[in-house]
Amino acid sequence: MEKLTEIWTRIINPANRKTILLIASALMIATGWLSDSLLNEPFFFDALMIGAALTAGYDIVQRAWRGILNRHTNIELLVSIAAIGGLSIGVYWESAAVTFLFLLGGWLETRSLNKTRSTLKDLLNMAPETALILEGEKRREIPAINVKKNMRVLVKPGGKIPVDGIVESGSTSVDESSITGEPVPAVKQNGSNVYAGTINQNGRIVIRTSKSGANTTLAQIIKRVEEAQEAKAPTQRFIERFATWYTPGIVLFSIITLALSQNLELALTLLVIGCPGALVISTPISIISGIGRAAKNGILIKGGEYLENAGKISVVAFDKTGTLTEGKPRVTDLIRIQPETVSAGIVEKHEGNWKRAIFGVDQDDAFSEQQNELLYWAGIAESNSEHPLAQAILNEAHKTNTIPDPDTFTSHTGFGVEASYKSDQIRVGNTEFLQKEGVSIPYQAKKMIEQLSGAGKTVVLVALNNNLLGGIGISDTIRSEASDMVEKLRANGIREIIMLTGDAPATANAIAEESGIQQVHSRMLPDDKLSVIERLQEQRHQVAMVGDGINDAPALARADIGIAMGAAGTDLAIETADIALMSNNLMNIPEALHISKLTLRNIRQNVVFALITVGLLLSGVFMGSVHMAGGMLIHELSVMAVIINGMRLRWN
Amino acid sequence: MKDLTKTILRSDDLNCPSCVNNIESNLKRKAGVEKATVHFSTGRIEIEHQHDRISEDELVEAVRQSGYKSQVSPF
Repeated sequence: MEKLTEIWTRIINPANRKTILLIASALMIATGWLSDSLLNEPFFFDALMIGAALTAGYDIVQRAWRGILNRHTNIELLVSIAAIGGLSIGVYWESAAVTFLFLLGGWLETRSLNKTRSTLKDLLNMAPETALILEGEKRREIPAINVKKNMRVLVKPGGKIPVDGIVESGSTSVDESSITGEPVPAVKQNGSNVYAGTINQNGRIVIRTSKSGANTTLAQIIKRVEEAQEAKAPTQRFIERFATWYTPGIVLFSIITLALSQNLELALTLLVIGCPGALVISTPISIISGIGRAAKNGILIKGGEYLENAGKISVVAFDKTGTLTEGKPRVTDLIRIQPETVSAGIVEKHEGNWKRAIFGVDQDDAFSEQQNELLYWAGIAESNSEHPLAQAILNEAHKTNTIPDPDTFTSHTGFGVEASYKSDQIRVGNTEFLQKEGVSIPYQAKKMIEQLSGAGKTVVLVALNNNLLGGIGISDTIRSEASDMVEKLRANGIREIIMLTGDAPATANAIAEESGIQQVHSRMLPDDKLSVIERLQEQRHQVAMVGDGINDAPALARADIGIAMGAAGTDLAIETADIALMSNNLMNIPEALHISKLTLRNIRQNVVFALITVGLLLSGVFMGSVHMAGGMLIHELSVMAVIINGMRLRWN
Repeated sequence: MKDLTKTILRSDDLNCPSCVNNIESNLKRKAGVEKATVHFSTGRIEIEHQHDRISEDELVEAVRQSGYKSQVSPF
């Protein structure tokens, strides 16, 4: 008895109803055909077909009715009119076939659509539900969304990391492919950032929580992917507008046909094949698949619109630092240059050229006093600067010196900084800046600058009380895949690849040459980068701008497609960029543009295919070779074909 | 001042863009529901409602009435 009630509740559950109605009508149609061939009893056959049409049609008519209540004409309405009309003129088999096929098509479509939505589900499943928190000596398991900032979380080997945070103790390697798409595990130790949804492989680690629940990078990614898939591309908006008048249009068209031809079956067939199913689904299915595939590779695309734009890109501009290079500049050369000084009546020439790689293993090799002095003054001046080069100088200066804060500080963006400490005035910046401020640059200094720039290093000059002290060579390692990436972009049909940088021409050219970029714009201020982009757009180029999202925001925003690199953990880049690359792998840039191009092509194939199908069906109907059942079959097949074509994007 | 809760449901059952209107209008007819948005592409249903007048379970039930299974999701 209990079993029976359970079965009954399952039957009346509207969510299961579709499947049950589908099976019931399939059985009736099958029995109908069987009895027809065995018994040759038309009454029995007709009765079963009417039964099948009513069974399958029940759900369809109900939805059509709800649509009418909400003042919507939907596909169900077309099918309902056709099926009821079919029953009233006695073409029972056709009515049964139309309703059954429509229901079957819907059932199959739901299943395949869920496959396309699975990327998102995989991401959602990456988030563990609970976290093991440490409170003093005690451990407690709590829901991951309830973990608060600064709570300490223990993650065992093989466990999923439940929060964003910083490793406080232990070391391990972490599979971050859910976030970055990179298959190679990342090594994590004290101070490393870890993200929720990544997998701890072999060590026990304790994490100090920085973000949990809906604020984690994973949740942000999920949100972005969803918003992207939900945002409607221009093509989709157009098709949807088209569909709103298309359905009533088809109804009107069949009424006119009926009035002119007095052929009810012809008019009903028109209703069936006029369903805009394939057309309406053509664009969303491609976009869901395209964005899903990109997300799997750690590429977040903001929405269908951007996918469509990215497929049309003809120029890619790179902001050098943090994209072509690693964006972690380090001091490599400290060169003291001293003017001839008079001491004890003898003219002495001090030309220190203590060139030395800083990051050697040799710890004994300390700086000379003169080099330390250079770092000390440069360090004071740069103390308040946020420029990446300033960070490089400070990192080095703090190793050997205690650096006091300056008394006054002025930053000249794109040129340098000016600071005073006690009675001394310090200027740190490029040649132009120091010359403008009245510091004379001797021949030997110019030579040194030339030499370092030629090797792709940025040279920062230091002057104390308007006397040149020397120069600091700073180098930012070029990413190993830079030249492969440029080659790949060219192979993918990108016509112009441009490098924009604030560096001096010699430095810029050295980097450009190594990465295979021919067009270089050096000594660019943030505004200059913007105007380069604008000029290209005036020449009717579709421009993509690649940056690290920190000091190139205006250019990223102005470009047709702004691509931010290394976005994992930086909310701002994820929020603002049109395409955010979670990892620092440059090869994801051609990959992102490639996926966009494939998606754009896929959309076009689908739209064209859907339109041709409707065209062929229409002419088939008027030539009398397509009837209701056949028309519905072809219509449903075309919808499935469009879905499968869209899903193809996920595979190759 | 009405105290609104935002609840997110997810459904794997949406198979055509026209389902969206059915679910949305059915939800909006319920007392206590202020806003309902159904996203066809992702199967996500966003609802703003007064928690004391209609609970999460009742929302799931309302979606089920329209013929679709769904479940509550944390984000």
